[in-house]
Amino acid sequence: MIFIISLAISIIFAAGSYLILQRNLIRVVIGIVLISNAANLFIVAAGITRGQAPIYPLPDGSEISDPLVQAMVLTAIVIGSSVAALLLALSYRLYTSHNSIDVDDISLAEAEAAEALERDESPELIDPEREGPV
Amino acid sequence: MILITLTIGVTWVFGAALAMMDGRRRSVGILALLGLGTSLVSAILLGIRVLQEGKVVMIAGDWPLGLGIALRADALGVTFAVVSCGVVFASLLYEVILGVRSRTFPALVLFLNTGLMGIFLTGDMFNFYVFFEIAMTASYVLTGYREQDYQVRAAFIFAIVNLLGSVIFLIAVAGLYRITGTLDMMIAAERIGEAGPNPTIVIATAIFVAFGLKIGLFPFHFWLPAVYVGSHAPVAAILSGAVANIGGYGLLRFGGYIMPDQLAFGAPVLLALGSASIIYGAHQAVARHSPVEVMAYSAIGQAGYILIALAIGGPIGYAGAVIYAVVNSLNKGLIFLATGLRGWMVGAAFAVGAFSIAGVPPAAGFISKLALFRAAIAWNGIAGSVAMVALIFVGGAISFVYSFQIYQSIYLKPGRMEAGKPSPLAARILVVALAALLVALGLYPEPLLYIGAQAAEVLVEGS
Repeated sequence: MIFIISLAISIIFAAGSYLILQRNLIRVVIGIVLISNAANLFIVAAGITRGQAPIYPLPDGSEISDPLVQAMVLTAIVIGSSVAALLLALSYRLYTSHNSIDVDDISLAEAEAAEALERDESPELIDPEREGPV
Repeated sequence: MILITLTIGVTWVFGAALAMMDGRRRSVGILALLGLGTSLVSAILLGIRVLQEGKVVMIAGDWPLGLGIALRADALGVTFAVVSCGVVFASLLYEVILGVRSRTFPALVLFLNTGLMGIFLTGDMFNFYVFFEIAMTASYVLTGYREQDYQVRAAFIFAIVNLLGSVIFLIAVAGLYRITGTLDMMIAAERIGEAGPNPTIVIATAIFVAFGLKIGLFPFHFWLPAVYVGSHAPVAAILSGAVANIGGYGLLRFGGYIMPDQLAFGAPVLLALGSASIIYGAHQAVARHSPVEVMAYSAIGQAGYILIALAIGGPIGYAGAVIYAVVNSLNKGLIFLATGLRGWMVGAAFAVGAFSIAGVPPAAGFISKLALFRAAIAWNGIAGSVAMVALIFVGGAISFVYSFQIYQSIYLKPGRMEAGKPSPLAARILVVALAALLVALGLYPEPLLYIGAQAAEVLVEGS
């Protein structure tokens, strides 16, 4: 049982790490979701015990499975899904301005914009004219 | 009791309410300042009480000890809480004076503060993770403030890298729960010795990697320059003055308090990485031109000093790490806020911050460098001590060079300061007040040294 779970965790984690290294932003987001789910599985595995459901009143004499890890993993799942939503929103924001979700395209467009700025002799990154439009 | 609840909770309630309103309106900004001010005042009152009467413990929901989630305010946590809350308050005040540009900014800053205060005052490891995520999620969004393309991209990088760190931390928490059977930091610290070295070293390494990512240590620093360069002045001040404290505090709390044996075991590695960070950060900072970029690389070097003090350990080393972290966040807050302004007195305030980073008296940076020298001398072995002192001295000398390179390029170049209108007087007064605080702490360092010693005592007693 322990072997199977650890194998599953390592495969999910490895798949997530592979996806994070891709150039496509959506794949990166999916990768981080996979990795955080590998961590969730790890938490469940860390407290895995066989026994009755831990619902009061407790049955006499029998073993009770650990409820704490389940409460923890529930919290972690909620956090993970909300952060995934945030990341997708950020990717969408980048997509609308560059019409691409490829990291290379986005960096290229940015480098060009930075060069154009430098040619205009206004390379101030620190807060140019607060009043006017940037 | 009520002080802990107020410190953490007030900004959460205000944040939830203000998230519905348009943050660009001045009234909303003032309400946010009111909430944050309440949090700051209660953190300070809590700090005074902790220093006078010892630590304050509160169990959430009145559960018996060991069952409920404990909130524990001790000298270490309260010190970090007051400093971080102060930097966040100054940054929000600065942005409200200059005019908030995004409707969510005040609410996000308040949520960030909730997360930070929770991290510094909780006594439960999983609770630590939850508050940590609250603070980090708010700071991901803050990095994209003003929604320029490069800022959104910086936010994306920041979020991905730090999420990876959070996941590693979560795995370490699950591991600690597995080997100690508790999530309470105090009980875990007592039981960790029984677990044997093998599993604990793995967990300690995971925790070190997670916090190394947050604080931006040398091999984990790759995300930091992109994020700082992209972000707006008050956001950069919040990130490097308050959010970076999570890394320093986490290393002190988990390394010094829960796993001191593992910390001592890993000390050579920490020293090597700390030295590499100092050299790399200073080296890169000297070569850059944009002030924000220089300060971003400087932050990598400053993380190295904290790590070295932590590795030396003992009361003097821990005190050095705490004092250095506190002064560093004030320095960075001042410098980043000052770079966004123009006009009379701003240059002087920036110069105080630059002197403080370089460790020149009378600025407070001198006291923190002195604490580091003390720690280095207390380290066993003459050769090691000499090498450490030399490293810290050279690092300080290089930071003097880069601080004044940017001072020169901003304030002494003809035409740079005259262009455009000067910034509002209130914002300049705020920056000057921060500079005055740094000088005051440098001239009368007793409170700082006392707090550092008290915080170190928490760690030494716990181990």
